[in-house]
Amino acid sequence: MLFFKPLAGIVIVLTLALLQGCVVTRGTVGEPIQEEAVSAIKKGTTTMAEVVSSIGAPDRIVRGNDREIFHYYYYDGKSPAMMLILLNFIRMDVKSDNLYVFFNREGIAEEVVYGKRTGRTQFRLWPFGD
Amino acid sequence: MTNVASRFHSTKLVVGALCILLLCAGCSVRRATLNDVLTPEQVSFIRVGQTTIRELADHIGAPDEVTESDFGVVALYYWSDTKSAALDFGAIGRLFLPYSPTLRLNKIGITPEQLQVVFDPQWTVRAYGFSRRATDEPVIWFWPF
Repeated sequence: MLFFKPLAGIVIVLTLALLQGCVVTRGTVGEPIQEEAVSAIKKGTTTMAEVVSSIGAPDRIVRGNDREIFHYYYYDGKSPAMMLILLNFIRMDVKSDNLYVFFNREGIAEEVVYGKRTGRTQFRLWPFGD
Repeated sequence: MTNVASRFHSTKLVVGALCILLLCAGCSVRRATLNDVLTPEQVSFIRVGQTTIRELADHIGAPDEVTESDFGVVALYYWSDTKSAALDFGAIGRLFLPYSPTLRLNKIGITPEQLQVVFDPQWTVRAYGFSRRATDEPVIWFWPF
């Protein structure tokens, strides 16, 4: 009996119409940086080979101030979208994690700089505001 | 008499709904953000010749890129807020007609920004500065001319 009521029909059609335009996308670049591996790097003792065996080969090797710098990065992007027949809202939020290990001339870790932003990546649809 | 009044109200409702549909028709709003915005207030702690790369990372996180220049090693922090809006006048026609031509106005504002920090050989800050600050564009702005 319920299905024959016009109001129920309208609600079902509206719900289906709203859901049919929902798109949720997630994209990542690289592998997440393991924080345990980062904290295991000891300045003045950990070697380049040990860093490579625990974290892997770096994504980039930079030379600066006559030192080798290993750069590891990871990107995480979340993008919800609402694509209705007449109105579309699409939003994307991308953040990155970066790890730099600075080595001295003997190949021993001298400094470790790590920043994690991907924990704050959000599925936010509303495109207005900050 | 009541019948006429209620019919008038429902006509107003339908016309109102159609007006809202016409206003929203073919409207597309997109926004893409990369990383968090860094403001001059957030980096006011930096003291040239004193602040180290370690202290910088403790306050604002690791840079997105480290590169060498003639003036020393440069740490780059990137962020951007891309806004795009479009209005397609053919969208309404597509609801009723087998073919409706596309007539679209589209505007995209990409605002890549960065903070650059130059270090001396002891990894203390030698200089720092922001890229040209773009003026804040409205989220919805289709007019491309």
